[in-house]
Amino acid sequence: MFQTDGPLRTPLHQTHLDAGGRIVDFAGWRMPIQYQGIVAEHKAVRSAAGIFDVSHMGQLRFQGPEAASFLGRMVVSAVDRLKPGEARYTHLCDERANLIDDLIVYRLAERDLLLVPNAAMVAEVREWFEKHLPAEGVTMADESLQWVCLAVQGPRAEGIISQVTGAPAGEFKPFSVHIFPELFGGLLVARTGYTGEWGVELMGPWEQGVAIWETLMAVGAEAGLVPCGLGARDTLRLEKGYLLSGQDFDHDRTSLETACGWLVDWDHDFVGKEALAAQKEAGFHRLTGIKVLDRGMIRPGNEVLHDGQVVGKLTSGGLSVTLKHGIGLAYLPLPIRKPETPLTITVRGKPLNATTVKLPFL
Amino acid sequence: MSKVIDDLHYSAEHEWIKVLESGEVSVGITDHAQDSLSDIVYVELPEVDTVYQKGEAMAIVESVKAASDIFAPLAGKVTMVNEALEETPELLNESPYELGWLFHMEPEDLEAGKAEMMDAAAYREFVAASE
Repeated sequence: MFQTDGPLRTPLHQTHLDAGGRIVDFAGWRMPIQYQGIVAEHKAVRSAAGIFDVSHMGQLRFQGPEAASFLGRMVVSAVDRLKPGEARYTHLCDERANLIDDLIVYRLAERDLLLVPNAAMVAEVREWFEKHLPAEGVTMADESLQWVCLAVQGPRAEGIISQVTGAPAGEFKPFSVHIFPELFGGLLVARTGYTGEWGVELMGPWEQGVAIWETLMAVGAEAGLVPCGLGARDTLRLEKGYLLSGQDFDHDRTSLETACGWLVDWDHDFVGKEALAAQKEAGFHRLTGIKVLDRGMIRPGNEVLHDGQVVGKLTSGGLSVTLKHGIGLAYLPLPIRKPETPLTITVRGKPLNATTVKLPFL
Repeated sequence: MSKVIDDLHYSAEHEWIKVLESGEVSVGITDHAQDSLSDIVYVELPEVDTVYQKGEAMAIVESVKAASDIFAPLAGKVTMVNEALEETPELLNESPYELGWLFHMEPEDLEAGKAEMMDAAAYREFVAASE
């Protein structure tokens, strides 16, 4: 069914080529980085709607009477308290509380949960769970190559999704998941995304990928739905201060450091809780938003200075297409991370004036 | 197939030069270059009066995703830069051969410089091989 070596291709590979997509290697996959251009695609998502093929993301399925309680112990949020039809963004950490990956847990039914990790992390996350799975009560299946996943995001996405599903999508609550067994051999529609706009992520059978994409494109044409690549996905998420796995954290940062303390349910037990509690007491550098005041382009890796001293490095950085100035993220200590602290960013040896700001940028 | 203009001279780094009446040259990047970079959002131009040897990095063009150096297509002194690019770097995408010129240079040896560059026909073949 699939090629056995070399980078993987989603079922939409040819569709992307036909749409003018520029294909790059990403996390073991051949994925479109852009079609018409990152700026146009970014603007389309903020003003109309965009469709992203994110089938490279993983799907790990946990089933059984202990599935929910097991997952609850594995992540910082009490996902065992989710009701069927609810989802949650959360962090999977090791014993030192360092993030292995950030992911979304969907409770499809009482004893049926779907976990979506980042493409590059699927194997590691799977192996981590294999090590921790109890002998009975829960089974795990890697269904990453069985699910196509498409994100439809933007202010006009709601009308498109209502039309395709026949359901009032505007009433879908954030982080709810809806199952349409009669559509495309079984379609999951989740009110989730990585752009900060109203949007959904649709998951359906791998072999239905082209049919789902073409239906969405046909229905969305009038609303201005355009295909968007990984490039726009990155510029959109940065404006919202969303983390990029492997870049903003790479086995070296905790939920507190990544400014996601709100995810942590301290009243439940989870792997890494002790280390995280100790860090909460001791203090930590936290991911902080940085706005560039001068003209110039910042990039990940640029040094961040305050009063002439290096205080951190950018983990993410680039131009905000919407705000038209540079934005970046860096781990900064108190009191420097307080909003409106003057900073300079060194770009090719030259200092650019910048300031800390509250997240999200937009 | 990207656009290639007759009567310009081209470098393997996808830059073009146009010989002006004054004997100076106007320098820019080709349609192929702007298309590969896509969405140019920032341009760092050289200082006027600076002298560069052929192949030296003299400007930086940044797209949303990456930064690219512009190398001196021939040796010479910068006489003028396109200040419009500071506010509207997208001119490089929209009009790479006209409004999106980068700078003017006074070449050390125009004929020698031209001799080391491609004409339009050769550059068309060069680009076709990579597209």
